[in-house]
Amino acid sequence: MMSYLVTIVIFVSIAGLVGLALNLQWGLAGLVNFGVSGFVALGAYMVALTAPHLGWLAATLTAALLCAAVSMALSLLTIRLEENYLAIVTIGFAEIVRILLLNESWLTGGALGIADIPRPFASLTPAGWGDGIILVFALVLVALVYGLMEGLVRSPFGRVLRAVRDDATVAAALGKPVLALRVRAFAVGGAVMGLAGALHAFFMTYIDPSQFTPIITAYAFMAVIAGGRGSNLGLLLGAGSIMLLLEATRFLKDLVPSIDGTQLSAMRLALIGIGIILLLILRPQGLVAEPRRTVRDVFPDATGES
Amino acid sequence: MAAQLLLNGLVTGLLLALPALALTLIFGILKFANFAVGSMLTLGAYAGYVGNVVLGWPLAAAAALAAATGALACLLSDALVFERLRERGSITLLVASMGVSLVIENICRFTFGNAALSFDIAPARPIRWQGIRINHEQIVTAAAVVVILILLHILLTASPLGRAMRAVADNPALAAVRGIERRTVARITWALTGAVLGGAGVLAGLDRAIDPLMGWNYQIPIFAAAILGGLGSPVGAVAGALMIGVAEEMSALILPTNYRQVVSFAVILVLLLFRTNGLFGAKAVRK
Repeated sequence: MMSYLVTIVIFVSIAGLVGLALNLQWGLAGLVNFGVSGFVALGAYMVALTAPHLGWLAATLTAALLCAAVSMALSLLTIRLEENYLAIVTIGFAEIVRILLLNESWLTGGALGIADIPRPFASLTPAGWGDGIILVFALVLVALVYGLMEGLVRSPFGRVLRAVRDDATVAAALGKPVLALRVRAFAVGGAVMGLAGALHAFFMTYIDPSQFTPIITAYAFMAVIAGGRGSNLGLLLGAGSIMLLLEATRFLKDLVPSIDGTQLSAMRLALIGIGIILLLILRPQGLVAEPRRTVRDVFPDATGES
Repeated sequence: MAAQLLLNGLVTGLLLALPALALTLIFGILKFANFAVGSMLTLGAYAGYVGNVVLGWPLAAAAALAAATGALACLLSDALVFERLRERGSITLLVASMGVSLVIENICRFTFGNAALSFDIAPARPIRWQGIRINHEQIVTAAAVVVILILLHILLTASPLGRAMRAVADNPALAAVRGIERRTVARITWALTGAVLGGAGVLAGLDRAIDPLMGWNYQIPIFAAAILGGLGSPVGAVAGALMIGVAEEMSALILPTNYRQVVSFAVILVLLLFRTNGLFGAKAVRK
């Protein structure tokens, strides 16, 4: 039971990291990324390939850098176009990553994947601790990224991104470099997705292409919508509560024995879809609405409307 | 070899033409990229399977059932989802369409499982002509698509409905002033595209096995075709689909067949780099 709980907490951490990244890209900067699973896979494989040689820290950083670079390239291609184009290019990217992982088996092991990925601090783990160290690692990573994201949201960079999202023309007219801002936001988000992939690889110690399906993407969108676009605290709450709900459906199998495994997973996915739609229609601001700052927050004496 | 691939490519292109056209029509009227087209294809294929295998109907009747199912599903998704989100902008609609896609795909998976299914048709010996193999399925597909395309072309260019659709696509406010209701036109467009997608799903099921992910696998080529044609242009979508189909099949000459999908993606990337409006294009660059 204990190890089950630890597993769930780590899965929530991974989903939380992915969600935080998407919250920056989509929630704060308004850039739709349907290729989330591709970036996570890229990060995980980078770690799997480099960790045995470079050690965990360098491998994690390499994964983040690679994902940032790829995000930058993709966003540079499409970001001056309409949203629709970025969405389709990122979907295509995720599919290409999947195809490459499956077919370039000299590098990725193909469908068999890569096993024996060394965990950070593995030698420090006392016997019988099991996943204890990786749990701490995951929580620290989430805390760091959460701190970073909150810092970004409050910084001038975050403010400008919101301005660009709400009205790019006005922001451009005020002399803000709209394209560069979008590319940077997308790259930072990509890097965090790479980190999530790294955590995934470290925890599983074995990865194969089937672990990185578009479900990761759907789940991240659900978490961002549920938590409230632009709100990082809401996002973590959202990611946690959805994971609990989905885990709870596991126990449906005991209640309704006629359901088989395929049907169960289909039901969970359909639930995510229905959740996305219902939340968009009924509660677009999410659990925790994005904090709206007004002139009064900065100048308490101001009288004008903000 | 090359001639055979060209023929296969043209048939694949015709197969892609219908969903690409559906995508572009919806984009023209409602101004969002509908990511549920793939799942509508899947739904159509399964509806065709129910008609053809479960009920034992001939394939044409099954295709009609699939078209009706597709139209109904599109109308329902419009009434339940897209109509309610219309004022929220294209990004929200985009994400919602992904949700719809998940729901439809997994209703199919829940009902029919993950196993690959196929239609109940008598296997026929392919026709050989000048060293080229032509399957019966290919003839059926090509003929059906060409007939549907001609009918749609007449509908779009020569009927009052087509004029109304083009008017709404061009300028909804002006169309409303002239007494053309956007909602009505949107609903008719949904029904039309749903029927087209359902029918196309049956054709896709002839081409390869029916499984819950079949529509998803067509998604990238469909979008590549529509973007190639300039999103919003029906003639462009058909031309784009033919080019993508031929490019995908011909790529077998130089690439391993596993990498077919890469071709569509590469076409999208190159287009976005050099010709952002597609070949027949509408405006795409934002502010």
